[in-house]
Amino acid sequence: MEKSDQFSGRVGLIFAAIGAAIGTGNIWRFPRMVGANGGGTFLIPWLFFLFIWSIPLVIAEFAIGKRTRVGTVGSFRILVGRKFAWMGLWTAWISTAIGFYYAVVAGWCVKYFTLGVSNGLMNVESVDVWNAFLQDPGQVIMFQFIVIAITVLAIWKGAKAIEKANFYMMLSLFAMLFLTLALALMMDGKDGTFDGFIFMFSVDMEILAQPETWINGLSQSAWSCSAGMGMAITYAVYMRKDEDTALNAVTMGLANNSISIIAGLAVLSAIFAVSDDPLSVVTGGSSAITFLALPEVFAQAPGGAVGRWVMMSAFFLSLSFAALTSMISTVELCVRNFVDHGIERNRAVAFTAGAIFLLGMPSALIWIRMDSEGVAFPEFLEVQDHIWGYGLMFSGLFIAFSIWKYGWTKWRGMVEEGTAEGGVAGFFKHGMSGFRDDYINTGDNDIWVPRIWDFIMYFAFPILFTVLIASYFGDLISGYDPWYAAFDPFDPHGAGIILAFWGFIGVSFVFLNDYVLTRRPVYLGEGPWWRNLHRRSEWEMRESPLFRNVPEGAEASIAELPGGDDPLIVEVGEVPPGWEDVYGDVLDAELT
Amino acid sequence: MRNARAILLALLLLNSVALTGSLAAAQDDDEPGKAPEDLWSIEYVSQSYPWGGDSDAQFDSFHDLLSMRQRMQYLAERNPEIFEFHDGMPGGVNDRGIEMDSDSYKGWYYKDEIPWMKITGGAEGVEGGTCDPFVGDCGNYADRPDVLLVGVHHAREWMGYEVAMLFLETIAHYYGMAGGDNDGDGLIDEDPWGDADGDGVLDDDGDCLMLNESYQDSNGDGIPCGPGDLGVDEDFSEQWITDLVDTREIYLVPMLNVDGNRYDREEFCSEEAWESCPSGGWRKNLRDNTYTGTTPFPDLQPGVDEDCDGVDLNRNYQFEWGWPLGATLPLIPGTCTPSEDERAGVANNDVYTGPFDTVDNDGDNRINEDHVDGKDDDADGLVDEDWDGGNSEPETLFMQDMTEMNDDDGDGASDFKATLTWHSYSELVLWPWGHCTGCSATDEAELAYLGMQMAEMSGYDPMQSSDLYPTTGDFCDWHYGVHQSFCYTIEIGTAFHQRPEDINHIAVRNLGMPFYLVEFSDNPVERARVGLENWSRSHWITPPANVSISENGPIPIEMCIGEQFPWSSDINASHLTWRMVKPSRIQSDYGPTEWLPEKWQKAPFDETGEQCVLADGNNGSLIVSDVPVPDDISGQLHYKASLGTMSGTYPFQYPAQGQYHTMTIPYRAAFGNTGLAIMLALLVATAVWGGLGVALRVMMDSGKDEPALSQDEAH
Repeated sequence: MEKSDQFSGRVGLIFAAIGAAIGTGNIWRFPRMVGANGGGTFLIPWLFFLFIWSIPLVIAEFAIGKRTRVGTVGSFRILVGRKFAWMGLWTAWISTAIGFYYAVVAGWCVKYFTLGVSNGLMNVESVDVWNAFLQDPGQVIMFQFIVIAITVLAIWKGAKAIEKANFYMMLSLFAMLFLTLALALMMDGKDGTFDGFIFMFSVDMEILAQPETWINGLSQSAWSCSAGMGMAITYAVYMRKDEDTALNAVTMGLANNSISIIAGLAVLSAIFAVSDDPLSVVTGGSSAITFLALPEVFAQAPGGAVGRWVMMSAFFLSLSFAALTSMISTVELCVRNFVDHGIERNRAVAFTAGAIFLLGMPSALIWIRMDSEGVAFPEFLEVQDHIWGYGLMFSGLFIAFSIWKYGWTKWRGMVEEGTAEGGVAGFFKHGMSGFRDDYINTGDNDIWVPRIWDFIMYFAFPILFTVLIASYFGDLISGYDPWYAAFDPFDPHGAGIILAFWGFIGVSFVFLNDYVLTRRPVYLGEGPWWRNLHRRSEWEMRESPLFRNVPEGAEASIAELPGGDDPLIVEVGEVPPGWEDVYGDVLDAELT
Repeated sequence: MRNARAILLALLLLNSVALTGSLAAAQDDDEPGKAPEDLWSIEYVSQSYPWGGDSDAQFDSFHDLLSMRQRMQYLAERNPEIFEFHDGMPGGVNDRGIEMDSDSYKGWYYKDEIPWMKITGGAEGVEGGTCDPFVGDCGNYADRPDVLLVGVHHAREWMGYEVAMLFLETIAHYYGMAGGDNDGDGLIDEDPWGDADGDGVLDDDGDCLMLNESYQDSNGDGIPCGPGDLGVDEDFSEQWITDLVDTREIYLVPMLNVDGNRYDREEFCSEEAWESCPSGGWRKNLRDNTYTGTTPFPDLQPGVDEDCDGVDLNRNYQFEWGWPLGATLPLIPGTCTPSEDERAGVANNDVYTGPFDTVDNDGDNRINEDHVDGKDDDADGLVDEDWDGGNSEPETLFMQDMTEMNDDDGDGASDFKATLTWHSYSELVLWPWGHCTGCSATDEAELAYLGMQMAEMSGYDPMQSSDLYPTTGDFCDWHYGVHQSFCYTIEIGTAFHQRPEDINHIAVRNLGMPFYLVEFSDNPVERARVGLENWSRSHWITPPANVSISENGPIPIEMCIGEQFPWSSDINASHLTWRMVKPSRIQSDYGPTEWLPEKWQKAPFDETGEQCVLADGNNGSLIVSDVPVPDDISGQLHYKASLGTMSGTYPFQYPAQGQYHTMTIPYRAAFGNTGLAIMLALLVATAVWGGLGVALRVMMDSGKDEPALSQDEAH
């Protein structure tokens, strides 16, 4: 049994959250989205949705985690009710499932850093380097392993270690990116035009008027900030009492976007400086731009051999750090849920890391195909991304749902007590602001979140969610003739396979809700438990305890919440009633 | 493929480690040359067709009349816009003024109707156009050339309907599809039928030649990488097939002699005819030759008299009927000379032409004074009005009436400009004449040219029909002689009854020819002349590497064409077809670039007045098409040219067979305005870094009075 854990201070939390938000999406996806969506035109919807979607959602997440003091599964159990713990499991699963292949991708980044440092990207065909690497299972697995090993090292010791790793990696990332940007601007300005800069900040009204631009801006903002992923819930668990959720969210969102702009400007400037047809380079397939185009572009950096070495190494180092810090948050999100349910941190980390390594292996190894241009790509990994990528939207929906339900329940209660009027007007007055009043503007806050947040969560969110999902599936289906062929669950690129996996996961999780999450079998027999799986007498179904991580001075009551008045929800270090036989010994051992 | 992948995917999610080991083991392969599995998809290598279905539909076993008809009906139901299934014809008053009904075309013995398919596409499809009450079909268009494809005149020649069915399945599956990767090698439409690039090698993409030698002759005919082998002509253009179906009317009669075929399968040989009738089988229809209808004697043979009954349908057409060349005529009607051994293929009654005509067809009280030969033998001003015989059978009447009553443009002549009939066996491509030796047809050069093209894509021997052996009253002589239709007889394969394991590769080897015939059906003579002049191959269109992209404005694509080539500058006849393909704005993060094609558009060709050098070294004229690609678009330009002639032949395509060139077009417009860009940059910087600064400031401030706040217990 452990003690409550917390970040050492605000800086630690901010850096951890920024590290989680900043990932490969900022450095390799963002420049492509800018290129494909009309340069500066794209910045408008992308910034707009930072304030309309990402920041409000992250505020909600921070607020939830800060109050419940448990990971995603426990948060839903406490905030929404026992029946809804599976929503938290969904959130955790989507993040972890993405983590399976994200570790592989992070491995690529680290590999390219090692190549850059060792001048392995000079005077070679970058396609050959890429193809040789991707088709060498030993290499890909090795770097996947390295990434997971670094991640484990960073989170093994809990919040303090996480913040330290994030702090140093993020600081280096800022420095390296600025260095890259400076060199890129030098390249761009060499011919006296700065056309990369101009493109990045020019608005094309025609493109701005296209709905697609706005949808792309929304999805980029959502993914890039990890909004709705449950990451902010997880890190908020280690928040101190006086942290301000809103200010943290705003800081994190803006920091995330500023890194995107720096990375975008660096990449675009460099490409525009050397390419005859920069837009084709930027808008092509995504791994292509990062691992094929950029090495060739950076090979033309100013400053001779040194300049080239610096640019190559700096860029891929920042890319690696971006990927690693995101990996840390992914693993921690999963680990936190295990720890909440009474599993020792060491075991949870080892198990999660092992699972991510093993289940990521297929993405690293199989279906390595060649596209029509002779560039290798990992199709299994791509299919995984296809299946789980949009699951994130549902994680966001569940978080929004928890807020809707909270406001609604609070208002109904007030109506019954006679302290609020019924009807639509009453709901607008008392229900809608419920979550914001009780969780966000708590009095600890530095900035006051205005009523617009309620409108965003209650109205803008469902509309945007529907538009995103409809446009995604609409696009998928429109590529099929007849349309229903998209629903063939055996087509790895169709809509059917997504729904099949989501359906399977969703249904299983609803089932697990009562058999693993809120009640679970406990082994009471002698000897290793797996030998006695078949002996029902050795097992007992018990209500599951939940251990809240409440740092000193950060207590806030949860008794009023739907799942809060449960005696089995205790603070870390306490023994839940009825579980003395399981946790009592350990506790004693630790106290001595 | 999909299923296999998804199952693999599910398995891997459950048990990743065990499988990855076995995968690594499968990788080493050091033999010289590749194995088929290295190049192509498993589905292609095992020749399993993407349309599924039972073993008949997969061409692993023979259809019979019933299963063939059911499959045709099924395909017609699945593709109602291009297929219309028919059983026989409703009839009416035919071209010769005789009242016919649906019974008139039923076989003598089993009374089955002849199943056939009308195929045409386009905007209105097979349900649009005009409907023909006699033939019973809709989808008739005056401006679409018509094609007639007929299998199984001879009952035992089963491959005839199998090739027809593969032709049908191919259209059903590939019509309207985007260019696809039929063989799973990652390339699209890279190897069409025939020698598309003119290098004398059928395997245009050279993939068969990359195989280890032991795999190169997959059909076992002794010719490595020959027609019908894996990797040869395996990735044809879906667009080309679609274009053909949209601009032609195809009449497909897979099994004309249904009566005889049933008899061959059910009585004369057996279901496994390749065992029981290794070199023979039933050939004719089931006319009862011992039944005179007028004699007082009862019919001596109420069933089928295997020694005497039946008419050779391919000796029963009226043109030059009765010239006893390679055929037997009845000396006394209703008599016959018993054969020696029909099953062994020794028979002297097998080519019976059918009875003499005893009707005074023109009512001038004389009979048979002007037989069908295209001349006015009796000098009465009428041609071929009183025939000697022929077209006496339900099956040949069916062909005659379908041909003569199919006149969409109302000019009194049949619309079939090209016809094809499938026979077995000997691996030959034959063209008229058949009835005379040492003679030649008016269009001999053109007939031979097109025939030789078909022979090239199948590896069959081309020859004039009578060079094989002279015939009388055959299908092609009648179609060419009476209707000037370019008619070809294909002698498929190496046996009357092929073994089931040979159906597939023989059918594949024969698949290109009917499509080619459908293509040239719009104007066979002109097509052949263009080919004879070598225009198709000496014309060239600027390849992507040579296109000059100016800084702005349209992109000129040039063509060099023969100076005498009768092209029409009307945009509907001759045009450059182009489209832009842009990368999708939402790319998968880890996959290959996804492209979104726009719609194809047309741009006209103009004469430049300049000369150019054709691919064969002769002088040609340069024409140019300015493609209006906007400056602010980058992506890929796809282009191809279609030329039509003054007399309406359309299209001659460059590059051939629905392929197109692909080139990259850079973004050519300005990227933006410097001043405005700086303004937006400042705005964004203010929003992001300004906001960040404010946030950090607030944070610092609150940090100072932290103790105070942390003691403050809210709520």
